[in-house]
Amino acid sequence: MSTFFETLKDFYQQAMKSNWSPVVGGIIIAFLAVLLEAWYRPWGIVGGIRNWGEWFWYAIGVIEDRPPHPIWFSSSVLNLGLVLGAFISATLAFEFGLRIPPLLEIIKGIIAGILMGIGAGLAQGCNIGAWYMSLGNLSGSGIIMMIGLFIGVFIGVKYLLWEIEHLSSSGGREISFGKLNPILGIIGIIILILGTYGYFRSEHEDGAVLGGCFILTAGIGYAIHRSRLCIVNSFREPFLSGDARMARGVALSLILLTLGVTILKMAEIKEEMLYVTPTFGLAAFLGGIIFGAAMVVAGGCGSGALWRVAEGQLKLWIVVIFFSISNAIFRHYLDNVWEVWDKGYLGKAVFLPHYFGYGISFIIIALIILIWYLLVDWNEKSEKFVIGI
Amino acid sequence: MAEIKADQLLDCKGLSCPMPMLKIKKAIKDLKSGQILEVWGTDPGTKNEVTEWCKKEGHELLAIIEEAGYNKYFIKKK
Repeated sequence: MSTFFETLKDFYQQAMKSNWSPVVGGIIIAFLAVLLEAWYRPWGIVGGIRNWGEWFWYAIGVIEDRPPHPIWFSSSVLNLGLVLGAFISATLAFEFGLRIPPLLEIIKGIIAGILMGIGAGLAQGCNIGAWYMSLGNLSGSGIIMMIGLFIGVFIGVKYLLWEIEHLSSSGGREISFGKLNPILGIIGIIILILGTYGYFRSEHEDGAVLGGCFILTAGIGYAIHRSRLCIVNSFREPFLSGDARMARGVALSLILLTLGVTILKMAEIKEEMLYVTPTFGLAAFLGGIIFGAAMVVAGGCGSGALWRVAEGQLKLWIVVIFFSISNAIFRHYLDNVWEVWDKGYLGKAVFLPHYFGYGISFIIIALIILIWYLLVDWNEKSEKFVIGI
Repeated sequence: MAEIKADQLLDCKGLSCPMPMLKIKKAIKDLKSGQILEVWGTDPGTKNEVTEWCKKEGHELLAIIEEAGYNKYFIKKK
């Protein structure tokens, strides 16, 4: 008996308490993202965040059309699943607690959130929809976004280094939940089970589809929190400390994702233009710069902000609130008032296989990721790009 | 365990990644070899990051003590 109990204890320690390596997290997330795309749609963050912000503008009468209900809108359901999964991970590991940041961090959260909304509006997505999933879906925009992100992250890191020398902030605190954590975790699991069951059994025409989205993104949320997989970190640390562990995990994840989605599109299981947005050009480039700089100051990208929301980081709650409000109104203007996408000067939709075929397109993406991997790996030893302390 | 006497205290409570590590690096830079930095933090990520960073840089992580609502880290500069 005691040995079986010890096995259970080991399992808890390994699967729920200790952190997974970025490589393990990256592999699981890529697997689940491919499943999600095969099941219904590509993974994304900003669509749901915008939906929440649209309700704010609708409530005060600025947007006239009633936005879709967050419970029945797939983009929003993806985020609800992710937050719930990350919450379950945080609570089962005794890591949930309300962290109240000092004032400077609150101000940074507001400004960074607004800028993230603008950047993600231009790029039609954040680091997930407009970079990770965009590259995975063989869209040229993801490559432009990556260049923009590098420039933006560099600017963001420069700011952080300036801040650390010139401004100080302290006086934050935590309201910890101690032994309540596992109880919250069990409540989270019950909500997950009932929610998924409710979707699958509902009369709603998209019920079952959304149920699958909910539980798959809960899996992504669990894995992303347990591995603390952070795309900001993967872009930032090569500049800041040289550490390339996160970048390696993200790179591996991207190659697996791209392979999976390439197969889905090649086999005509999914429509080829899925997630190929008309942003190849200025939109992805400028969006990437703005979003990249802002996510460094925010301390979380699209996905990173959400999983930190789930572990109780109030700074990221502020980021997500201002992100959603600014993105909703900015996209409303881009789409409906200025009607920029049809005019085409911000970019066009580029599906790489239309130019190079599937094989070469996959190789192009894989090579870009490989070069990134090799550069950060080399940088870890040589510190060639490190500008940090 | 005996009390560890720290030379400097750094309050990172409420801060999230990457601020705690940035502040720790800056504080350590300003210390002399052998001096001890005490850090208070609430970010769950800091635990692994401090451990890995000390290993890489050669500083000695003397202890991580869990208090109610925050962690205390004691780092001895190499």
